[in-house]
Amino acid sequence: MSANVIIGDILIAIGAFFYFLGGLGILRMPDVYNRLQAGTKATTLGTFSTVIGVGISKPEFLIKALIIVAFVAMTNPVGSSVLARASYLSGVKPCDCTKVDEYKGGGEE
Amino acid sequence: MRRLYAILVGAGLVYMLFAFLGTISPYGNVNLSDRVSAHFLAKDVNSVDASKWVSGDKQIPSKMKVFGKKGFEDGSANVVTSIVVNYRSFDTLGEVTVLFASAVGVGLILGGTRRMRYGRKPNFILRVSTGILLPLIILFGVYIFVHGHLTPGGGFPGGTVIAAAVLLLYLSNEEFSLNMVVSKSLEGSMGSLYVIFGLIGLAVGGAFLFNFLPNGVVGSLFSAGVVPLVYMTIGLKVGSELSGVVAEIHEEREG
Repeated sequence: MSANVIIGDILIAIGAFFYFLGGLGILRMPDVYNRLQAGTKATTLGTFSTVIGVGISKPEFLIKALIIVAFVAMTNPVGSSVLARASYLSGVKPCDCTKVDEYKGGGEE
Repeated sequence: MRRLYAILVGAGLVYMLFAFLGTISPYGNVNLSDRVSAHFLAKDVNSVDASKWVSGDKQIPSKMKVFGKKGFEDGSANVVTSIVVNYRSFDTLGEVTVLFASAVGVGLILGGTRRMRYGRKPNFILRVSTGILLPLIILFGVYIFVHGHLTPGGGFPGGTVIAAAVLLLYLSNEEFSLNMVVSKSLEGSMGSLYVIFGLIGLAVGGAFLFNFLPNGVVGSLFSAGVVPLVYMTIGLKVGSELSGVVAEIHEEREG
């Protein structure tokens, strides 16, 4: 087994661990905003790590992997941001443990 | 008792998983002539005895045809597409008709003349990123239906991706409104073009939606005969149709 395959496997394992953390966060976090950030952060970073791991272990796939990473980096945070804003504007309150609400009044712009 | 059943079912699933994993050959060592697609391409599905497959005797179909040389539906690298556009093409015409009828229904119930407002400004992040993402999304939709005979996908998924781009425009811009004349005429002309392809097939080959073009080399972009043309018409038709549905949902009547 060559070195790039080992590096790729390690990266895929890290990505799977991020996915696991995302699932755990969605299960354990108290309100919708924390769950959103756990889910989005974990899936974005997990996808980066997994796809780049595949690209490193199979070098002919590397350019495609980088393009996939660019697309995920462009779309995933936007979707999460729009979901969070929509749930804030439709009146979902953050949990009681929230100390600072910097978005208060931000829906009007 | 239920827990016992759950444990039994779970153990069975784990056993099946391991038994299944044991039979998979390593990546790159799979004998492709054993696959279902080979049987489809060999037109020899019926002569293969299923009971012998179960007992472990591998049967290679008796008369293997060379991939892409014979038959009117062998030229497509994607076997599913080959089945959908050649054997089941009349069925696809029916699906397109069903979609057309539902789009007409949505237009009758929800249609109007004025663009509906959301009542608040669109999200800044959404507005900025739509400008970046919109051409890429439309390009991806076109890629899906142009490469329908090579990669998974086809007319319906590609058209849906294009309609998703139109929905993104509606969500990010309060002023945007789809030009209904363009979308309706595109939809109608593409739907008629599909029927015209079928009639050409009837005239040339004697069957409605017959594959009348040469198959070419399997795996290249211009191959599989009539499949890319049919998928281009279906993709544009479904895209404009679903865009029209999205536009009609965002309309309201006067007063």
